[in-house]
Amino acid sequence: MHEAPIVQIAGLKFDLALILTVIVSGIIVFALAKLATRNLSVENPGKLQNFMEWVVEFVQGLISSTMDYKKGAPFLSLGLTLIMFIFVSNMLGLPLVVPFKYTDPAAANFFGLPLTTVLDGLNSGKEYVEVGWWKSPTADAASAMGLALIVFVLVHFLGIVKNPKHYFGHYFKPFFFFFPINLIEQFSKLLTHGMRLFGNIFAGEVLISVLLKMSTLWFGVGAVASVLGLIVWQGFSIFVGTIQAFVFTILAMVYISQSLETDEDH
Amino acid sequence: MHFEWTNLVIVIVAFLILYWLLNRYAFGPLFSVMEKRRELIKQQMDEAAQTRNQATQFVEEQKAALQQARKDAQDIIEQARQTSNSQAEQLINQAKEESLRLKNEAARDIETEKNKAVAALRSEIGAVSVQIASKVLQKEVDPKAQEQLVDNYLKDVGIRQ
Repeated sequence: MHEAPIVQIAGLKFDLALILTVIVSGIIVFALAKLATRNLSVENPGKLQNFMEWVVEFVQGLISSTMDYKKGAPFLSLGLTLIMFIFVSNMLGLPLVVPFKYTDPAAANFFGLPLTTVLDGLNSGKEYVEVGWWKSPTADAASAMGLALIVFVLVHFLGIVKNPKHYFGHYFKPFFFFFPINLIEQFSKLLTHGMRLFGNIFAGEVLISVLLKMSTLWFGVGAVASVLGLIVWQGFSIFVGTIQAFVFTILAMVYISQSLETDEDH
Repeated sequence: MHFEWTNLVIVIVAFLILYWLLNRYAFGPLFSVMEKRRELIKQQMDEAAQTRNQATQFVEEQKAALQQARKDAQDIIEQARQTSNSQAEQLINQAKEESLRLKNEAARDIETEKNKAVAALRSEIGAVSVQIASKVLQKEVDPKAQEQLVDNYLKDVGIRQ
């Protein structure tokens, strides 16, 4: 696996590849949305506007399948941003891998800032360290957890503000001693929400880099196998990336609907 | 695999900025356009329903008007028939009356003519009988007294008749 290009600023470690790809996917999402909504028309929508409206209706469908749409309407923008950002992020790591081989500790810097992972690797006796400058932002545990944390915080905030009686009550249901289990459930939701996304995308990218490495083996046979494998796996990764964006969004909506539901609904 | 807390923060910040930007510049206008279209379609459908109702109403009205017209025509025909009948009757009655009147008039005329003739005849006969009598008697009878006499006689004859 490639190392991450990490620099240290004021004691904090920053993953440059992640920063790069997060910004890129944010720009792609915004550019897409902006392009689609550039010449808005009520009676004669363009192709991109139609596509964007289809996405909006899709997310509206997700929301209304998990809760009363009137309650869920404020989360339409959130759902849209989630699904678009995660989808684009998942796709981002698929088409290209930009590995960079560092052998000289002196060259291992980014505008004067030393790449700590490279230096650590070289110092521990490795001949070279390969750094991946390009990946899916969601193929990083911390960033996937960050997205899950946004939903987690929103869900608990909504629960406490909108629905405090039910929110605090449900920790002790069906019996008082279920409290620890309910508490664990909440954190396991957070963990599975983020880790499911991370795991799927990360595994996809690992397999892509493994297939790429295979291309140098067995005098050309490996190359053929690698290309065939990549064709199949890239296709499957597109599918997985789409499904994971969908799953993440619908789970976010499910959690939100759980925090909004009242006892009277049952 | 690394777990860098800074990544977590960066993604959250980036996501929130993206959310704000999209909401402000892309989704807001898009939602309003979609809402506008929804309203447009609703309005058009309402209008269509209204037009259809109006059309149905018009058809009903037309039907009623046609029915009314038919009834009116029937009434007019009926009325005309009645008028013609009564007029014919009236004409016949008039004709009858006229003929009766004419007949009566004729009868009256005949009567007067007859009376006139009788009166003329009477005076003629008186004069002639006086002349005859005077011729017969060869003498002048007082014509006045004679006429009186004949008159009386004729009256007697007339009564007896």
